[in-house]
Amino acid sequence: MMSNLTSPERARAMLITGAGVLIGLTMAVLGRNDPMGAHGWIVLLFCGVLFFIVADKLYDAEPVEDRSISYYDDPTKVGILLALFWAVVAMGMGVWVASQLAWPDLRFDAAWSSFGRIRPVHTSGVIFGFGGNALIATSYHIMQRTSRARMPDQVSPWFVLLGFNLFCVVAASGYLIGITQSKEYAEPEWYADLWLVIVWVVYFVLYIRTLARRNEPHIYVANWYYLSFILVVAILHIVNNLAVPASFTGAKSYSAFAGVQDAMVQWWYGHNAVAFFLTTGFLGMLYYFLPKRAGRPIYSYRLSILSFWGIVFFYIWVGSHHLHYTALPQWVQTLGVTFSVMLLVPSWASAGNALMTLNGAWHKVRDDATLRFMMVAAVFYGLSTFEGSFMAIRPVNALSHYTDWTVGHVHSGAMGWVAMITFGSIYALTPVLWRREAMYSWKAVEWHFWLALSGTVIYVFAMWNSGITQGLMWRTYTESGTLRFSFVDTLIAMHPYYIARAFGGLLFFAGACICFWNVVMTIRRVPHHASAIDYPTTSEAMEPAVPAAE
Amino acid sequence: MTILAFLIPITLGMGAVGLCVFFWSLRSNQYDDLSGDAERILFDEDRPLPAASARLSNTTKETAP
Amino acid sequence: MTGCQVSENIQKTSSDEDYQSSSTAWRKAEARSTVRILSDGRGQCVLSVPDLRCGGCVATIERTLSTRTDVVSARVNLTLKQVVVTFVNADADPTSVISALGLLGYPATSADQDQSHENDTDNVGRGLLRAIAVAGFGAMNIMILSVAVWSGAAGETRDTFHLISALIAIPVVAYAGQPFFQSAFQALRVRRLNMDVPIAVAVVLALALSLAETMRGGEQAFFDAAVTLLFFLLSGRYLDHLMRERARSAVSGLARLSPRGAMLRQPDGVLTYVPLSAIAPGAIIAIGPDERVPVDVSVISGSTDLDRSLVTGEAIPVPAGFGDTLEAGTLNLTGAVEAEVLRSADESFLAQMMRMQSEAETGRGTYVRIADRAARLYAPVVHLLALATFVGWVLATGDWHTSAFVAISVLIITCPCALGLAVPVAHVVASGRLMRMGILMKDGSALERLAEIDRVVFDKTGTLTMGTAAVGLGPNDPALRAAAKALALKSFHPAARAIAISIAELPCQLDDATEVPGFGVAGCVGGRAVRLGRADWVADISMQAKDRASPVFAFADGPAMAFDLLETLRPGAFDAVKSFAAAGIPVAMLSGDIEARANRIANQLDIADVRSGETPADKIAALNALRDDGYRALMVGDGLNDAAALAAAHVSMAPSSASDAGRTAADFIFLRDGLEAVPAAWRMARATARIVRQNFGLAIAYNCIAIPLAMAGLVTPLIAALAMSASSILVIGNALRLNPPEKPRETQALRHKRSEVLA
Repeated sequence: MMSNLTSPERARAMLITGAGVLIGLTMAVLGRNDPMGAHGWIVLLFCGVLFFIVADKLYDAEPVEDRSISYYDDPTKVGILLALFWAVVAMGMGVWVASQLAWPDLRFDAAWSSFGRIRPVHTSGVIFGFGGNALIATSYHIMQRTSRARMPDQVSPWFVLLGFNLFCVVAASGYLIGITQSKEYAEPEWYADLWLVIVWVVYFVLYIRTLARRNEPHIYVANWYYLSFILVVAILHIVNNLAVPASFTGAKSYSAFAGVQDAMVQWWYGHNAVAFFLTTGFLGMLYYFLPKRAGRPIYSYRLSILSFWGIVFFYIWVGSHHLHYTALPQWVQTLGVTFSVMLLVPSWASAGNALMTLNGAWHKVRDDATLRFMMVAAVFYGLSTFEGSFMAIRPVNALSHYTDWTVGHVHSGAMGWVAMITFGSIYALTPVLWRREAMYSWKAVEWHFWLALSGTVIYVFAMWNSGITQGLMWRTYTESGTLRFSFVDTLIAMHPYYIARAFGGLLFFAGACICFWNVVMTIRRVPHHASAIDYPTTSEAMEPAVPAAE
Repeated sequence: MTILAFLIPITLGMGAVGLCVFFWSLRSNQYDDLSGDAERILFDEDRPLPAASARLSNTTKETAP
Repeated sequence: MTGCQVSENIQKTSSDEDYQSSSTAWRKAEARSTVRILSDGRGQCVLSVPDLRCGGCVATIERTLSTRTDVVSARVNLTLKQVVVTFVNADADPTSVISALGLLGYPATSADQDQSHENDTDNVGRGLLRAIAVAGFGAMNIMILSVAVWSGAAGETRDTFHLISALIAIPVVAYAGQPFFQSAFQALRVRRLNMDVPIAVAVVLALALSLAETMRGGEQAFFDAAVTLLFFLLSGRYLDHLMRERARSAVSGLARLSPRGAMLRQPDGVLTYVPLSAIAPGAIIAIGPDERVPVDVSVISGSTDLDRSLVTGEAIPVPAGFGDTLEAGTLNLTGAVEAEVLRSADESFLAQMMRMQSEAETGRGTYVRIADRAARLYAPVVHLLALATFVGWVLATGDWHTSAFVAISVLIITCPCALGLAVPVAHVVASGRLMRMGILMKDGSALERLAEIDRVVFDKTGTLTMGTAAVGLGPNDPALRAAAKALALKSFHPAARAIAISIAELPCQLDDATEVPGFGVAGCVGGRAVRLGRADWVADISMQAKDRASPVFAFADGPAMAFDLLETLRPGAFDAVKSFAAAGIPVAMLSGDIEARANRIANQLDIADVRSGETPADKIAALNALRDDGYRALMVGDGLNDAAALAAAHVSMAPSSASDAGRTAADFIFLRDGLEAVPAAWRMARATARIVRQNFGLAIAYNCIAIPLAMAGLVTPLIAALAMSASSILVIGNALRLNPPEKPRETQALRHKRSEVLA
């Protein structure tokens, strides 16, 4: 991989990683009396390893590749593998966390393994580690293919990808150590946040530079979705993480906002993160890989553009529905409800558009598990957006809030929509990227599909039941007007559902492991497939009569 | 809700950026052939197109006497 | 082949080859005249490729064309079915690209550069889109603030939100409201009322009222209503524009029939291409086979056959030779001729027809669109009601401020959002369906007019008939038939083509084949001379000399055998005529052809009212007479001679094979061969008219509920917003009923297999 860099590029890479080593060292020294010091050593190690990888190849021969006739796919490949690595780690964590709820002894009496510390490892791991890496990798692929142009340089894609992973490592390790600013989906402390801003700006600039070099006049709609993801996430991240470090030699910081104001900012961020991280980016993936795989253009391209603007506009103010029945003024809550309900229109437009694209290609959906992943993703997208709008209504929220229903809703979106579309895209992308004829085992893809689907369904149904039971038990009064059930009563009632949840998660986790194995085997075992015709990305070309392994 | 004094301008600013981007896309003919553009991604070759400038200089060379 | 004698009648024109090359040269020059020179010195031309269907076609064409050395880039527009080709040099030759496309299986023609140039910059559409974007941005942000206020934000928060709304609304209305303000202003200047007048009044007053309320710290402001109204109406207007733009580009994509220039014989004997405008009377021009006559001329040398069907309506080609006059627009079929120009382009037959057409158009009078008719009733009523409310409230309460507020809220709640959308949305949906049926609609008013017709008038040649001749009975002997087919294959004369198609046998060996333009084809079969052509010419070698109109075939000294020519009915013609008759709408036929042929078709189709030998002026007179009698006629025709009549009719349709002038004049153009498009369009128009009436009914019903509430002062901005959105959605939903649920898209069936694309 490094041998595809020219000497000046290798030198630049060494400079950057060297600087990283120095920063790590500084943090380690300054924070020697604080958990930040541990992060310094992690940064130093991460950058140091990369430094030596580059240094090792510094005097290798110059690359022979003709850059004018090829795309730059190396970072995409690494990104896909990293995404799958994070998927396995974070979903494994998820299974562990879920099991802890059913069997609390699984904490093994360690501080680092308590629920409060490993849950964010799970959430950040799947959202940022798995989702974020997949988004970065697919965006590199899509922006080059739809622009018909190569990325402008070879260092910044690496910087973005590895820099983002450094952020993920710092975040995940911090949670275990106990470093958190206690903001949901924005737990990392100030220095990690600052680092992410730098990485994100470089990402945005890289995307714009690639688009500026495009040889295809039209900018495909997927790029708009990705761009909104990058741009808005940057703004959200900056605003929500405005904080004053207690000291520059320590991890602790204090939010710039206080009380309900802080909560408002947090959920303005939190729900927009759902919108622009977990929705628009993955819709970009859907709008590229679904038509590609189905071999049919998107049903209504016009509608895909319209729903883009609809989603962008409607999402902005729905966050306050997370704060029903709090100190937040009633009208701000109502505002959130109104827009949450209206949001259903563009969301269903997107889901319907995806399903209508498949209308007429159902035989392909039947035969091709990859396409089925994408189809199920669109269905779950439609379901969970409906559920979300429904749960945002205040009376419904009175029942659902703080219960497992919320957890079920999030997972129907995260497993059913985000993970399904990502796995579908990875299966569509891997043979193209590594120039292989097909995936190593189509049976494994089938297994993965059914494991993922049944895992999701078990998980979501368990949480629906548990959440509604929980909500109803909490609000049941005796005749004398006291609460009927104690908190422990509800926990006992939850126990079977928690076991079911852990089981559903286990199935999903097993599927992710199979996927990782299948991708690695595809890279290692499936023979190189030189595309005689120049369409390796079309679905017919990817569906050989006899799969590679069987 | 003093925080809105902060969030509303940010939101309006993002909306304004979106509006400008839409204007730009309109001016650069992004919506001229939507049905064609939806189809194009299905038929791209797995290599970049040569840059427009390179193509021009090539053809000029070829046709030069 | 010594036995074969070439008759003296066969005069081999000495300059035959000269003509051949002149014809190619004309074609090239004609195509080259469409190349536009770009600022960087490269040439660019727009080709119209009607067979473009899917991304495969796009990929194939772009890939093939960009490998050519003379092409810098080729960009396909699938929506417009066009290819924009940029050439290395400004004097590039598009014909080679056209033939390359033909080899790929995509017949192409040069599109008119001036027209497609307009396509590049559809400024009206872009302006509307920009206005929609601005209104949408404003509407969304103001909606957020308004929802906050309606949800209970009070006191300073509310005042601040109103202020921010005002700051957004003022520039947004000023920018996005322009289409309405301009149109309303223009209407008022000529002392008319149109739908935009009440819209503009309501928007401006709503804004003014809300501003006043904001300044006062009032509780209610209508910023949301004003901006959302603009957004909805602009969307309707844009869809309407899009519909017409789509039809216009589809029409401009049809192959152009009239030439842009001609090959002029210079004094030194060289043929050069000159544009139409530079051809003066007295000049000599060369007209090759398969070319259209550019201006009125008189033949000075050569002989040929002419297809005058588009010019006069004559179905059967006529021969022409020295001294004959050729009208502009006539199609030269077989031979090359030189002719002297009689009249310049702007005085030619074509130009006369255009003049008659524009006169006929002005005679038709202006048709007032149904929406404007509604506005003439609606605007005064609403404005009077508002005034009455104001006066009533002042008298009752004496509170000027409240009275003004209530009166303006009456204007806002009745604001014709639903009325403004009632017509365009229905028309857009209908136009989409018509387009899928292969019918292009030029604008919405045509649909309204088509719904009203009570008379249908058909042209014969090219409309009820396909104009191509078919053969009745021929000789029975297979050997004769094989020889006749061999001869027929040598000619492009429509009769020869029809004969060739009608004979199933394989053609026999034919030697020395010569086509004698204006007469027929001669050759040798097995050493015997054979001829196929005009009866008197064939009689020169055959035994029997028979004077008949049909083409004749004979071996030398053998019996002459005649092929009867019949006109073929356009598919669906019978059903079309019948379905109008069944609906009680009388059908008439106006033909420029001779009585016998007109009557035969009329009898076949059961049309009682037939007039033959009609000149263009006769046709206009007939349609004017119908109008004077109070009838609303639909005219269906194709020829140059019909163009004026098409314009004179209440509403008109033309097939896509019609003359350029006919296509320009017609309100509807049907692209498929079948004539059932005519009753189908009529049924669609009636269904649309019904939906439009229902929409008006809904809007009126809505107003009947809303106005009393508003006059009673019960309307708040929230109710106004809800009522407006609900009524608009209702109207749109009702219009969508015109679009029955489709089966999986038709185009998918036509989608090329990938293997074909790869090949």
